Amino acid sequence: MATLGHAKVITTVVDDDPAAYEQRYVHEVYDRIAYHFSSTRYKPWPLVSKFLFNIPTGWVGLDSGTGNGKYLPLPTDNPGRIWTVGLDRSPNLLSLARTAGVVRGDVLEGGWRRGAFDYAISIATLHHLATVDRRVTVVKRLFESVSPRHGRILIYVWASTDGQDVFVPWVLQVSTATDGVRHEASRTNEDRDVRTDARTCQIGTEAAQQMGLKVSPRLAEAEGVEEAEGKEGIEIIASGWERSNYYIELWRWQK
Amino acid sequence: MVRLITHNLLACHAKGCTSNNFPLRFSNVKLALREADFNPDFIRGFLPRIEWDALVQASREIGDTSLPPERPEMLDDDFLKQLHHVLLEIHVDEGSMTCPNCEHVYPISSGIPNMLLAEHEIR
Ligand SMILES: [Zn+2]
Repeated sequence: MATLGHAKVITTVVDDDPAAYEQRYVHEVYDRIAYHFSSTRYKPWPLVSKFLFNIPTGWVGLDSGTGNGKYLPLPTDNPGRIWTVGLDRSPNLLSLARTAGVVRGDVLEGGWRRGAFDYAISIATLHHLATVDRRVTVVKRLFESVSPRHGRILIYVWASTDGQDVFVPWVLQVSTATDGVRHEASRTNEDRDVRTDARTCQIGTEAAQQMGLKVSPRLAEAEGVEEAEGKEGIEIIASGWERSNYYIELWRWQK
Repeated sequence: MVRLITHNLLACHAKGCTSNNFPLRFSNVKLALREADFNPDFIRGFLPRIEWDALVQASREIGDTSLPPERPEMLDDDFLKQLHHVLLEIHVDEGSMTCPNCEHVYPISSGIPNMLLAEHEIR
């Protein structure tokens, strides 16, 4: 069990080597089921569409963990008004997204000029990482990839227990089974509401603090950035649930 | 797909390589031209964010000499169309990109650049 700030976080480490665990339970699975996955994952989440709809014309963004790249062509009302590049590890998923701009790489690493993007999204990706530390790293990479002056970020965490997908559990308690691999145990709605919410915010806060960024909830409109404490930081603009997904929208500011 | 719009955002991220780490240099490229819808508002909005010197250098490496060395201030339609072509219609389907600092090589295969590092190279 790890502790982030005051929140208790139950990690889902199932192996001595989290990277090996992710390779076995996430990357290999996705690569194998790429075509099936793609055919069942064509519908964009409404909140993600709305976020992209509100991005100013001429901005470029990163979809970190893009999968089959379904968000890359948005917004559909005016295609090509903004430009999103997709990053993923799975070559089979990327080959499905080839008409857009895609790059093979790891959400834990980088490969971009610092602050190159105006916005970044991470949709249903974070829960695939097997430890809290690795999730914090992914969020740090998002923070680094966007402009420190105006970069907008949307993080969307899939808390669904949809049985047929093989996911590293995000909010679930784990128990050790006889094969040495821990499996998800039962979960209540209460767990979901309290834990995913708190943990996603904690992970965002931890990532910001490691980078020396101030974290503010909604800044008062009249005061704005000038009145905020510190020289640069993040402001959480919105957070909440969409069906069984938890999301946080924030932006980076700098004085 | 590696187009120059993507390339303009990339930088080497090998361990310890934090300065002079872009633009990655193209070599052994196989190119294809594929038409893309022209959106002048996008090009106009994106122009101030382009690393201009990196774009000019990269376009020359792959054989396009149409861009002026300085970012122009007058944006007529012809220029926006030319910039659209350079950014979005030239595809590097095969080849490699080399870091100017540490010389790490990132391969491009079937139009997809591979930015993955080996474990010992990750920062
Ligand atoms: Zn390098």
